[in-house]
Amino acid sequence: MNALIAITILAPLAASALGLLWRKNVVARDITTFAGLFAAALASFFILAGVADDGTHVVWVGDWNPEVGIVLVADLFAALVLPVALTIILVVEIFAIGQRRTSWGANPELAGPLLGVLTSGVSLAFLTGDLFTLFVAFELILVSSYVLLTHQGQRAQIRSGMTYVVMNLFSSTLFLLGLAIVYAATGTVNMALLAERVPELPDAVQLGIGGWFFVVFGTKAAVFPLFSWLPDSYPTAPTTITAVFAGLLTKIGIYAMIRFHTLTDMADLGPAMLVLAGFTMIVGAIGALAQTDVKRILSFHIISQIGYMLMGLGLFSVAGTTGAILFLVHHMPVKTVLFLIGGLIENAQGSSRLSRSGGLATAKPWLAVLFAIPALSLAGLPPFSGFVAKLAVISAGVDASSSVIVAVALIAGLLTMLSMTKIWIGVFWGAASDEAEPVPTRRGNRRLMITATSLAVAGTLTISFFAGTLFDLSERAAIELRTPGVYAAEVQR
Amino acid sequence: MTDTSPTTHNKSFSVLPASVALITPIAAFAGIYLLFAGHNNPGGGFAAGLVFGAIVTLRSLAGVPNRLDATSLICAGVLIVVAVAAAPLFFGDALLDQKVVSITLPVLGKIKSGSALPFDIGVTAIVVGLVIALLSGLRTGDVTEGDSP
Repeated sequence: MNALIAITILAPLAASALGLLWRKNVVARDITTFAGLFAAALASFFILAGVADDGTHVVWVGDWNPEVGIVLVADLFAALVLPVALTIILVVEIFAIGQRRTSWGANPELAGPLLGVLTSGVSLAFLTGDLFTLFVAFELILVSSYVLLTHQGQRAQIRSGMTYVVMNLFSSTLFLLGLAIVYAATGTVNMALLAERVPELPDAVQLGIGGWFFVVFGTKAAVFPLFSWLPDSYPTAPTTITAVFAGLLTKIGIYAMIRFHTLTDMADLGPAMLVLAGFTMIVGAIGALAQTDVKRILSFHIISQIGYMLMGLGLFSVAGTTGAILFLVHHMPVKTVLFLIGGLIENAQGSSRLSRSGGLATAKPWLAVLFAIPALSLAGLPPFSGFVAKLAVISAGVDASSSVIVAVALIAGLLTMLSMTKIWIGVFWGAASDEAEPVPTRRGNRRLMITATSLAVAGTLTISFFAGTLFDLSERAAIELRTPGVYAAEVQR
Repeated sequence: MTDTSPTTHNKSFSVLPASVALITPIAAFAGIYLLFAGHNNPGGGFAAGLVFGAIVTLRSLAGVPNRLDATSLICAGVLIVVAVAAAPLFFGDALLDQKVVSITLPVLGKIKSGSALPFDIGVTAIVVGLVIALLSGLRTGDVTEGDSP
């Protein structure tokens, strides 16, 4: 188990170093990057199987004592999210290998190795058991994301990249200050110890710490009103990069929030979270309606969906946390797939702008099917994974008799459906537009791109197929998080 | 002074190259000190890397050509770090566990070091590599025109 946990963090990092070393040798580079990501993804599934059977596994890095040492904790929550995230990255890497020869492709010499660094950060962020290592993981992810976002050096990318960098530096600074505050108040940054010590603090200090980290993680997660950096920066990046960012980055913010705020039992923040969750859902959904570009519509949906996860967390009940975890597991692949399809549309039509596209349903019916499945899933229609996830969150809301937020969630779902219809009408219906389309000079390896996308769509269907099992696992993870003392006892065992 | 200057192409500003040439060994010594001190005192691989990075920056400002390759440094650094982190697993120890070795040398006395040293060297290599990459990036500074895709 120790080795498996080490592989998820170290294999992508080693692969990225080797890939960078022989970056001019296309075949060797691709094989190395792919092998590193594949090893990590495979290991994560074994971790999930192990944790589901034998319970939480803890790695004391360097055998230091709990007060000062780094600890990696593979509890059920981490083990459940990790395979989903790593599989997504693997699929995107396949897509990227196919797309690189088009004019939209990311520079493969940089993108492959940096994706490895990002993956390593993602694994570390999920597995870490202390706040400072979480900060390091965030920085690892952010530093590679800065480069991935702007490496093509186009004007629009640099401009929106600026906002992205400034926002993230701002939240990283707040994070660091927050760490100092937590350490001053409790004498530790270890989450297991925090779970015991934070509830003993005076109410005002507790609320201050909870609120502070809500702002920190909320900025990363693009929660209202700190979301404006997202729809500007994400659509400018190459499709594969956006797909990874959309699927993972904001979700890591939510993941950290679920972990920190449930472990330290910040139930007092619940009402505030629910209000912001409502705004996040509605603003995201309405924002999406106003857009005229596939990638921009999808970017606004990210924000709207973050609202649902925040709602699940804000209810501070086992059912709510279960819903939030299930939503997280469903949302990561679906969002990534939609962006990959956005990339395919771009490749087929020469642009992802709605006015430029049209008539794809007759020209490429398979693309329409590929789009329809995750789109309906995102809108929350049965029998897709989104339905189960939304149902879990909303029924938790009904249980807690928070009728306002339930109503808002339902309205936001409807609006999401509307903007998906807008993409459907704009891209798939109607006649192909007769505007001169800038057809890319080289169309890339279409078969590989389509295979990757189909794999991912199949993956989202698998999630709805195993919804029952996943719900049970999410519930177990939520109970572990919500029951005071369980996490702490397991880590300190 | 001009004769000892490492560059000859820019004679009018020879003070800077000359002083940089003087400073380099001293700063390098400070960097090496930090690298070794980091085990139990303030310092360490990152601090050493920053000092070496400062040397590289100074030298490039003074117009001394740089012979180090950023990519190889970063790659080597990451590989060393990963290897040191993973190595204890093969002996059944915890990730990143370290072996401490102390030896007594004639002049320096008792020296305590261990597997943390190669880790620090790896970190130093990464930091220096990043600084060099940053410098060469600033030198080119091209922003391509064009629509967002």
